[in-house]
Amino acid sequence: MSKFTKEMVDSYANKLLFNLTGEENQMVLDEFEVIDKTIDLINKIDGIDKLEPMTHALDDFVVDLRDDISEESIELKDVLRNAGATEGREIEVPKVVE
Amino acid sequence: MVDKSILEIHKALENGTITSAELVNESLNKSREVQEKYNAFVSIIADAKGTDVTDSLVSGIPFGVKDNFSTKDILTTGSSNTLNNYVPIFNATAVGKLLNAGAVITNKTVLDEFGLGGTGTTGHTGVVKNPWDITRMCAGSSAGSACAVAAGVYPFALGSDTGDSVRKPAAYCGIVGYKPTYGMISRFGLFPFASSLDTVGVLTRNVEDAAIVTDVMKGKDSHDMTTWDSSNMHLKNALTGDVKGKKLFYIKELCDINNYNNPSKELVEHLENFHKTLWLCKELGIEVSGESIDQEILNAIGSVYVVISCAEATSNLSNLTGIIYGPRSDKKNINDMMIDYRTEGFSPLIKRRLVIGSYVLQKENQERYFKNAQKLRRLIVNLMKEFFEKYDGLILPVSCGSAKLLDGSIDKVSREAMALEDHLQIGNFGGFPSITIPNGFVNDLPVGVNITGNCYDDENVLNLAYALESKMPCKNQIAKEAN
Amino acid sequence: MKKQIAVIGLEMHCEMKSNSKVFSSAANSYNETPNSNIQLLDMAFPGTLPVVNKKCVKDALKVSLALNCSQPEYMYFDRKNYYYPDLPKGYQITQMDSPVGVNGKIEIEVNDKLIPVLIHDVHLEEDTASLDHYFDTSTIDYNRCGVPLLELVTEPCLHSAEEAVAFINHIIQMYRYMDVSDADTKRGQVRCDVNVSIMDEDAKDFGTRVEVKNVNSISGVQDVINYEIKRQTELKEQGRYSEVEQETRRWNEETMSTIRMRSKVDAIDYKYFVEPNIPKYRITKEWLSEIKSEIPKLHLERKYNYIESLGLSSYDAGVLVKNKDISDYFEECVKIGIDAKMASNWITTSIMGYLNNEEIDIKDFYINPKRLKDLIDAINSGVISNKQAKEIFNKVLETKKEVKDFLSSDNAQISDADTLISLIDNILGNNKAQIDDYHNGKTNLFDYFVGQVMKETRGKANPVLTKEILNKKLNS
Repeated sequence: MSKFTKEMVDSYANKLLFNLTGEENQMVLDEFEVIDKTIDLINKIDGIDKLEPMTHALDDFVVDLRDDISEESIELKDVLRNAGATEGREIEVPKVVE
Repeated sequence: MVDKSILEIHKALENGTITSAELVNESLNKSREVQEKYNAFVSIIADAKGTDVTDSLVSGIPFGVKDNFSTKDILTTGSSNTLNNYVPIFNATAVGKLLNAGAVITNKTVLDEFGLGGTGTTGHTGVVKNPWDITRMCAGSSAGSACAVAAGVYPFALGSDTGDSVRKPAAYCGIVGYKPTYGMISRFGLFPFASSLDTVGVLTRNVEDAAIVTDVMKGKDSHDMTTWDSSNMHLKNALTGDVKGKKLFYIKELCDINNYNNPSKELVEHLENFHKTLWLCKELGIEVSGESIDQEILNAIGSVYVVISCAEATSNLSNLTGIIYGPRSDKKNINDMMIDYRTEGFSPLIKRRLVIGSYVLQKENQERYFKNAQKLRRLIVNLMKEFFEKYDGLILPVSCGSAKLLDGSIDKVSREAMALEDHLQIGNFGGFPSITIPNGFVNDLPVGVNITGNCYDDENVLNLAYALESKMPCKNQIAKEAN
Repeated sequence: MKKQIAVIGLEMHCEMKSNSKVFSSAANSYNETPNSNIQLLDMAFPGTLPVVNKKCVKDALKVSLALNCSQPEYMYFDRKNYYYPDLPKGYQITQMDSPVGVNGKIEIEVNDKLIPVLIHDVHLEEDTASLDHYFDTSTIDYNRCGVPLLELVTEPCLHSAEEAVAFINHIIQMYRYMDVSDADTKRGQVRCDVNVSIMDEDAKDFGTRVEVKNVNSISGVQDVINYEIKRQTELKEQGRYSEVEQETRRWNEETMSTIRMRSKVDAIDYKYFVEPNIPKYRITKEWLSEIKSEIPKLHLERKYNYIESLGLSSYDAGVLVKNKDISDYFEECVKIGIDAKMASNWITTSIMGYLNNEEIDIKDFYINPKRLKDLIDAINSGVISNKQAKEIFNKVLETKKEVKDFLSSDNAQISDADTLISLIDNILGNNKAQIDDYHNGKTNLFDYFVGQVMKETRGKANPVLTKEILNKKLNS
């Protein structure tokens, strides 16, 4: 019995705000199996646990933080240009219920 | 003329034997032809205009832009239905710099949806075919850019490279694909796939052109905190061709045919061809040695890549909800609206990858999958950095051979860990500069060889590729079928 | 049932002050015109990247230092992933692993007593867009999106609504003193999540923790805590404590009650991971000590200083430190030599009264400490009376002139003894009958003579001196 189930995959998809077909779901399950096996391999590699996770591409960035200077707003027509629905100066969506 | 090198075209423009407008026209005509045959473009910029010729080598010259670079007032889709009507209000920094230098966009090229794929078959406008053989793929994700450059639509096109998305299609299409050190070119305006791996790259038909274009695009950008100052670096000037005494290494486990069970004829020829290339290196005065890397580490490269890239992609594509941009669903409930938009908009491949990404990021799984993958990423990068203390670069064959057939190609995580297919991803793990150049033919189809060096050592890496290129007959080649 | 104690933890979000937003260069200023403070990142246009505002980091570190937190050697950010229409990127950039401060401790004052409060962490993050709701639609204004937020998380170490409120007020004061935030509750700049549980007085383990999200006012925090303590205690009394669930609730102001949002089981997994677009940033010791040197003395320290060293009452000291500018004004007064109590009296009565009426800031107040000193010096040297001083105070404000302009012979108090003596001689000479009556026992006529002097001088005679002279003349 696999530790991955169809329901699990569907619930992940759901949290990502999309639906999967049965076929897509099965493909994810197959891929999970493969990944899970290689992760087992990874965990067996010597010294892996002592390493710091690499979160960025480089370790030696020379970072400058931005000076606190404000720039003029982008134009309203650009703000709204690609939106599917607008109302006055704002983007409109179906009612968001808290 | 657009199938010539940048320097040749620039000279012709300066001499007045051709105008920018004529070049643009020629590029547009070829674009239509290439679109017809190989389906390489999301859009062709029919109203593109010639520009003045200036001191900039790229001025007046047409080029292509992968459709995941934001282009102001030009449809930019990421080859996804989620953005099939999106018209950006700003230019990506890399694009803006080329436009400022006087280069002219003649088309936007097809990619695997948002770069998440390696076949050139998952874009919303359909499959991109290989210009050498239309039954084969270009590889991806910069499929359209590679196809168009190989077909001679222009001397260069922009690509982006997260795993091998510039360097593998370059190999399959018989051209040059260069991914500079991470942060050398701003990512501002590049649709993100996996931010810690994404790199702007360029596809050309010779190494010098890659250097010229990158010289224009590179530089610190106040809109991208991960860029760095490269003003003291001049890639084109670094191309002396003098590589005597340089040192390259290859990974024995990947390059020794005896390491493979029942190798295909293609793989045999591909590796033989690679070893011939190593001989050419030696003729150039380069010392070449084989080094060993633990097979288990090599086998895990692909998984490290899948885990990290899918995880970051899950988050990076969360802005796609159809509220601010994208074709909105007409559902009357906000949640249904977003679900409908994403279900309809994303291709099956992307959805699968996002689910994987989400899974490995879950609180209860993160340590086992995501963090461990990040740790192995570091281990591999540390290993490479040790090698780079001794060597100027790593040289390896690209892929297991030439372009794969379109039918029978399924782009999913492979059951067999094929390190030969995956090793270019090391370049993204460490942000290393990495360049693929064509090194001959297998089955009458082009194959490529890759050189990867240490961070910030782009000049050296390009010069090595430049010297090697001069020993081979593939420089500036145009896809046969297209001729 | 055993006596119950409440255990309360706060997550306090406060919008910070800056010219531009925390990761984009759009203006960070309250703007009623929707979508008028927008840069590309604020709407998550594909390909846009965060660029960290140095001032925000600096101010966050300032707070971290003031809370006695430890600061990381490398600071970085994390993504908190969730979908909501007010969050364009689909994730909020915040700090999880390496925030600007952890493990802090401060003392706050509750009912004139100091109690310690432990700080779990303080971190820098971004605000969301704001939604307006209509009949069947909502509209989105992105002005607020990307406004810097400082989130301060306490350990569960508070025990009453009163303590919680005192803590919030203390922090608001602190932020204002350091000028990192206006902390304007009316404009929704301060928002709290409140954790409440109850436990037996002698119990070792905490009870079940209930989180109430997004409480927008200080009185709201107070109501929420009192409501939850009551709700949980009543359930416990009825033997139904198991019905108190680890869950997230929200406050309904209309019904004055908390409502369940989701249980722990449905808790959102935010899938935090390190933001790859923002490199790890090294916080140097040099920068930290520079920032530390810029932290002003805070209100509580000042208050105790005023009481202990300057002899003010706890009440007056409290009034003075409520506003840093007023406290600064007071300290300047003391510095240039005004008696502390006198300065305090003037500030807490006349000056603050005037500032309130005119709705102006003490920084823009015409009578600066130097002018106040002129006025008080004139009182102390007997040149003017207190009553006259008040008049001159108003005249100076009206005319924007100097105090000395109103101390001329014409206007000023008559304190010259010779002048007063001849004046009084004159008056006594004209009131012989009254002098006789006075000597015959009508001693209350003394005030009559004073009145006559005042009448003659239109109130400008120095009253003390006048009485002295009269006393001499009449009784010797």
